[in-house]
Amino acid sequence: MTAAAPEPKTNMGQPVPRYDAVVKVTGRATYASDMPLVDPAYAFLVTSAIAKGRIDSFDLDDARRVRGVIDVVTHENAPKLKDSKLFSNGGYAGTTIQPLKTAEIAHDGQIIAVVVAETYEAAREAANRVKVSYTASAPTATFDSPGTTVAAATGQNAQFKEDPKVGDFAKAFDEAEVKLTASYETPTQHHNPMELFSTSCAWMGDELVIYEPSQFVYGLKYGVAEQLGIDADKVRVVNPYVGGGFGSRGSMTPRTAIIAGIAKRLNRPVKLVPTRDQGFTIATYRAETRHEIKLGARRDGKLVALRHEGAEVSSRPDAYCVGGTKTTTRLYACPNVDSLVSIVRADRNTPGFMRSPPEVPYLFALESAMDELAVKLNMDPVELRRINDTTNEPISGKPYTSRSLMACFDEAAKAFGWAQRSPQPKSMSDGDWLIGYGCAATCYPTQMGPAAARVRLQRDGRTRVEIAGHEIGTGAYTVIAQTAAERLGVPLEKVAVFIGDSDLPPAPVAGGSNSTASTCSVVTMVCDQIRQRLFKAVMPSQSLTDKAKETVGIGQTPATQAAKGDRPLDLEKAFDALGVGVVEEYGEWKPEGAPLDSFRAMHSGQVRLVGGHAMKDQIAYAFGAEFVEVRVNRFTHEIRCPRLVGAFAAGRIMNPRTARSQLMGGLIWGMSSALLEATEIDERNARYVNDNLADYLVPVNADVADVEVILLSEQDDHINPVGVKGVGELANVGTNAAICNAIHHATGQRIRKLPVRLENIEV
Amino acid sequence: MSDSSSSKQSAFDRRAFMAGAAGSVLVPITARAAAEEARAPAAQDPALPVDVTLRVNGKDKRLHVDARTTVLDALRDHLKLTGSKKGCDHGQCGACTVLIDDRRVVSCLTLALAAEGQEITTIEGLATDDRLHPMQQAFIDNDAFQCGYCTPGQIMSAIACVKEGHAKSEADIREYMSGNICRCAAYPNIVAAVKQAAPEIMKG
Repeated sequence: MTAAAPEPKTNMGQPVPRYDAVVKVTGRATYASDMPLVDPAYAFLVTSAIAKGRIDSFDLDDARRVRGVIDVVTHENAPKLKDSKLFSNGGYAGTTIQPLKTAEIAHDGQIIAVVVAETYEAAREAANRVKVSYTASAPTATFDSPGTTVAAATGQNAQFKEDPKVGDFAKAFDEAEVKLTASYETPTQHHNPMELFSTSCAWMGDELVIYEPSQFVYGLKYGVAEQLGIDADKVRVVNPYVGGGFGSRGSMTPRTAIIAGIAKRLNRPVKLVPTRDQGFTIATYRAETRHEIKLGARRDGKLVALRHEGAEVSSRPDAYCVGGTKTTTRLYACPNVDSLVSIVRADRNTPGFMRSPPEVPYLFALESAMDELAVKLNMDPVELRRINDTTNEPISGKPYTSRSLMACFDEAAKAFGWAQRSPQPKSMSDGDWLIGYGCAATCYPTQMGPAAARVRLQRDGRTRVEIAGHEIGTGAYTVIAQTAAERLGVPLEKVAVFIGDSDLPPAPVAGGSNSTASTCSVVTMVCDQIRQRLFKAVMPSQSLTDKAKETVGIGQTPATQAAKGDRPLDLEKAFDALGVGVVEEYGEWKPEGAPLDSFRAMHSGQVRLVGGHAMKDQIAYAFGAEFVEVRVNRFTHEIRCPRLVGAFAAGRIMNPRTARSQLMGGLIWGMSSALLEATEIDERNARYVNDNLADYLVPVNADVADVEVILLSEQDDHINPVGVKGVGELANVGTNAAICNAIHHATGQRIRKLPVRLENIEV
Repeated sequence: MSDSSSSKQSAFDRRAFMAGAAGSVLVPITARAAAEEARAPAAQDPALPVDVTLRVNGKDKRLHVDARTTVLDALRDHLKLTGSKKGCDHGQCGACTVLIDDRRVVSCLTLALAAEGQEITTIEGLATDDRLHPMQQAFIDNDAFQCGYCTPGQIMSAIACVKEGHAKSEADIREYMSGNICRCAAYPNIVAAVKQAAPEIMKG
């Protein structure tokens, strides 16, 4: 076994290779822009050069003269589209700024024209020849820019209902023996998935097929249908493989309905592959945030008061916010808690989900502050977490369904060699390099959503599973296939999985780390429906214990069951008894506590995730602990991160291989959010400056050395039928704090603003 | 305030570029073009389609395309070889990496015309008779990908990295595989895969 395939521990599945491994290494995996189209026209976007104002006129003569140009579409001649509401207000859209509707410009890089031509090259040339006259006014870029408006998130964002608080924070903080007040900042970041934000639209009569990388094919289907004013049954979204999502493809962007409308008008398939820089403004991003943390503690480290105030940037029309206080106010035991989240409006495109949207910025603040408090208390930061560990969240006292935070700290500390750390800052070095060790906690809410699946079993054991899930690199095909194979007792290689198509039974958005929990829960349920039918056909139900019904394989006798005398099911006999060629079952599953309208919402492209802190009597989170070594060169101030160690407990691990890979990628994302990633904004023009992969720094191979992922065994029977918490967004939380904590240990300098670059070090 | 300017796309004029470049980097192309009378119009108007023959995975492919077509777009849009991916179109991400005469090249920055007469190998050309190339197998064994979009480029780059002699240590592999971005960050697994496949590839 390679390091990539860790030996499964208790409550873990087998580390089988990915279901889609061969197609992905041979180039046969078909991503959206790989889909064959018959005689497509090529679209190229023209985007706004100003952030605020209006278009006075276009001069399209030069553009139209380019050989092969079919049309130049602007707000003056664009297909008429209906507005879509923001996803958080019951709509499908990630922004309510609808381009090509009026002459108004709401942000830099807004789509202002679409050139359609016979070739990609002609479309690109013509787009470059579109001349625009604007009336521009001074835009508001970000925090502190003139013209921002600030207001509490509660009351403007339907998904952020209240600022958590309990006890009497002011009094407790006032009387606390040890106090800390500190402010933190995190930057704008863009997801930059490798696959561009492409869209191909093809009409067959009145039916539309959309090939687009999406993390939510049902949402896109219903959203585009709404914008076009057609029946959603006429719209199909297909994307069997998605070249990375990280949240950027969870809600509908305006481009899709525009391209669909143009394709309809031309009566011809239209293919759009936007450029990398256009991706910075035609989709969403992680907005910049600011935080103030106040911690009050007793001398022994026990927290008595905690306040977290956060501010986030959003666009003028949309009150998007992540509101991570829902997590940071509940992570540690503390009797007096206060919080406030505000939204700052600027002339920007609307931000959106990016991998662990609330936790990445908000835990950076809290986990940095915890380290600062540990320094004040002269206490080991791990011990400070232990003293404040809790089985119940402090806001309403609900118990965590399971919580292995300190077990993660202990495992990771041991693997890392935390005991070798000398606590004094600047006390460890190696030649020109100052060495720092740092750590932080991570957590992510366990979420689930209603899902449906269809499973078909043939008498030779061949199985077909259909569910409109999404393969964004998480291993969705693999864990769904494993679930069906295990549940039906058929060999893994006999299971075929079909996902990424809105003609399949609906599944939730591939976001919020809910996919494995939701899809595997429904697939398990539907496989059990098949088992029931088969067992009923061949044996009286009383001849089989309930346990055996759940565990006996079909067509095989697991040794343990045979020993107990339970008979295996003879598949051939069962099919003969039923008198059918195939057995097919469809089922719908919803998590406990899901709202009454869950299934109706599921069938209209709406998301109804439950879990996390919002459960009725419990609170469900996955936990982890991360340890990092940083090296800061005392002369050049270069910062390196040679070691990342994370230990994680997330309920059942369906496949230790795919789980480890996601967590490993997450740790690297976390390192990146501390040391590399930031979208720089030209504040005069409210424009993203480094909108390409050379200037927007993402990690490359040389940035990464040793990354160790430790999977802890954890069982949680309170969350969903498969006991899965989700690992997609767990590992990139807290890493940013761990790195700043390590930089403090190495240099004695506390850095509270990300990213940390060598010019920020003052050794 | 009134402001008249062009759109955000640069005003970079590709006609001027082609004309200006004729005397410098694109000499071999225009020289070749001039040799055949059929190509004479191409030299006058780059938007007119030209005939190009690309040798891809051992087979000659005749194309009639815009002179500005890149190898990447020729493969993807005209030859239906969509394994090579477009991630930036600027040579920044490596997703489009192919081998041209055994050198790793970003196909998005290479004009199809400039690759005439050279041997292009793409991800589709690696596996033979359903047997995976050792590097493909190593990527599977070491789970060296997640979403898979950068994978064809990583694998092509990895094969060249080994053949260049840049896979002798983990540090070397990291350095010489840094032209290929993997946003899922499968990097440690990619290093492990290159290490695994290197001896077999060097054996030939």
